[in-house]
Amino acid sequence: MPVVEIDGRELSVTNLDKVLYPDGFTKAEVIDYYVRVAPAMLPHVQGRVVTLRRYPNGVDGTSFFEKRSPDHRPDWIGTALGPGDRKGGIQYLVIDEVATLAWVGNMAALEVHAPMARAVDIDAPTMVVFDLDPGAPATIVDCCRVALEIQDVLADLDLQIWPKTSGSKGMQLYLPLNTPHTHEHASSFALAVAQILEKQDPKRVTSVMKKQLRKGKIFVDWSQNSHHKTTIAAYSLRARPTPTVSTPISWDEVQSGADGEVLSFTAPEVLERVADFGDVFAPTATLEQELPTPRS
Amino acid sequence: MPRAIWSGSISFGLVNIPVQLFNAVSRKSVRFNQIDSRNNARIRMKKTNAESGEDVPDDVIVKGYELSKGNYVLLSEDELAALDPESQRTIDIEEFVDLADIDPVYFDASYHLSPDPATVKAYALLARTMEQAGKVGISRFVMRQKQYLAAIRPVDGHLVLSTLVYEDEGNGVDDVPELDKVSEVDVSAKELEMAEQLVDSLAGTWEPEKYSDTYREQVMEMIEAKAAGDTDFVVATEAPPREKVVDLMAALEASVKDAKEARGRHPTSGEAETKKKPARKAPAKKKSA
Repeated sequence: MPVVEIDGRELSVTNLDKVLYPDGFTKAEVIDYYVRVAPAMLPHVQGRVVTLRRYPNGVDGTSFFEKRSPDHRPDWIGTALGPGDRKGGIQYLVIDEVATLAWVGNMAALEVHAPMARAVDIDAPTMVVFDLDPGAPATIVDCCRVALEIQDVLADLDLQIWPKTSGSKGMQLYLPLNTPHTHEHASSFALAVAQILEKQDPKRVTSVMKKQLRKGKIFVDWSQNSHHKTTIAAYSLRARPTPTVSTPISWDEVQSGADGEVLSFTAPEVLERVADFGDVFAPTATLEQELPTPRS
Repeated sequence: MPRAIWSGSISFGLVNIPVQLFNAVSRKSVRFNQIDSRNNARIRMKKTNAESGEDVPDDVIVKGYELSKGNYVLLSEDELAALDPESQRTIDIEEFVDLADIDPVYFDASYHLSPDPATVKAYALLARTMEQAGKVGISRFVMRQKQYLAAIRPVDGHLVLSTLVYEDEGNGVDDVPELDKVSEVDVSAKELEMAEQLVDSLAGTWEPEKYSDTYREQVMEMIEAKAAGDTDFVVATEAPPREKVVDLMAALEASVKDAKEARGRHPTSGEAETKKKPARKAPAKKKSA
C-alpha cells in the first residue's frame, strides 16, 4: 500500500492497475481524472454531504451506495451530519479538497451523488434540479427538446438555468437559488413547471413517476428536490461501459442535441473541455435567484 | 412439528380432499434488535403526526391512497373489510397445466400439503394421478384475507402448493431498457461454440446442499465469538507502519501510461478512438456557454 502525498495530505492508494471499466480504464486513471477535474468539480460538491456509489470490482461487478462515511478514512477527511435513516442522523463524507477526491477514487467510488442543500444549512436547497429521465424509446434527444421548453418557461419568469448530461441516459437542469428557500418550495416549483410542460406537451412529458406512464416520454423528476434525495454531481464519473461523465454543457449544445448530435463525454474529453472553456457550470454555485412565491 | 398455517380442502370437480398447509421454507437470516448503545435499551417505534409532531393513537389512523402529490383517498378498515375475499376454506383447482409452462419468476412461497388422516387414500390417489399425468393444478384460495393464485404439484409422492404472483404484479422487460440492446447483438457460430464449451466445462448436477449463506455463518460466528469475550472481532483502530511517501501524481503516472498503452494494443481501442473524435469537436462549437 504505497502512501502518497497530494496537496499536503497523505493517503494510501491500492490496486492502481485494476481495470474498472470494460474498455480498460483503470483505477489509476479514475484517480487521475478526479484529481485533474477537481478545480472545476469541487465548487459543486464542497460543503455537501455526498453519497458515494462504489464499484470495488468495476462497473460490471456489484456496487453499493455508501452514505455513512467509512470509519477507516484518514483523519483529515471531513464529515458532516446529514439526512438520517430510521436510526437517526448519518455522518456523511464531505468532499472539500482535491485529496478527498483522490481518496474517493481509490475506493472505486466512481459515482458521487450530492444533495441540493449544503450541510451547514441542510434545510435550504441552494438550487432546484430538474432531472430529465427518458423512458424508452425516448432518448437524450427528447430530453434536449424538453430542456429547451423548460428554459423558455423559466425565461418568462426571468430565471436562468444550466444544463448538464447525466453521463448516463438523461440530463439535469440546475436552477441556482443561493438565497433562502425550503425544499418544499423548490419541490413544488419544480412540480409546477413539470405540470405546465406536461399540459403543453402531454405526448412527450410526464410529471408522474409511475413506470407504465413513462414509456416514450421524458419524466421531469421534480421529486429529486426533496431533502433526502441526491443527484449525480457535476463532473462525477458514471458506471457505464466507458468512463462517461455527468458533463456541464452549453445551451447551444442542448440545441444541437435536440437536432440529434451525440451528447456523451468521457473523462479525457471532459478534461479537455475544462481546459478549453473552464467550468461552464460555475454560475450555479454563486448566482442568486428567487423563486416566485407560491400562491396558496 | 411445525404448526399448520391453514386448513381446508382441495376441491376439483366433485372431489373434496381435506388438507393442511405447512411452511416448506424457514428463512434463516440473522435477526437483530435495535438497541440504544448508550444504555443498551431496546428501541421503540412511535407514530407521530408529520405536521404537528404529536404522538398519534392507533384508533385515529386510517389508510390513504395517494392519487397524485398531496391528494389522498381515505379508506376506513370497515370499508376495506366489506371487500375482503370470502373466507372459503377450499383450494379450487381450476385447470391442470404443464409445470414447464410456468416460468420460475411466478413462484412465490411454497407449502407442504398434508392430508387428513381420514382421507389419506383420496390424497394419495390425487398425488399419484398428477404425477403420472405430469401436470400441476392451478387454483385459487383465500388465506389471511388475501386471495392467492397457487400451483399444486406432486413431489416425491406428496403434494406441494406454491403461491404464484399474479401476472400484473410482474415487472415487464419494458421496465429494464438495457434489455432492448440484447436482442440486437450479433454473435458468430464460433463465439457460440466457445461459450458452449465454457458452459460445458462448468456443467454439474444441482446439489442444493452444496450452498449455504456464508455471510450469515460469518455473522453468527462473530456474534458467538463476541459473546464468548473474544476481542479479535472488535474493530481495530489502524496504526499502520510508516511508509515512504511519494507524490500522488508521480505514483499514478506509470499506471496511467500503462493503461493507455494497454488500450492501444487492445482490439477494442479502434472503437474507442473513433468514438472520441466527433465528440471532441463539440466543445469547439460553443463559446456562448
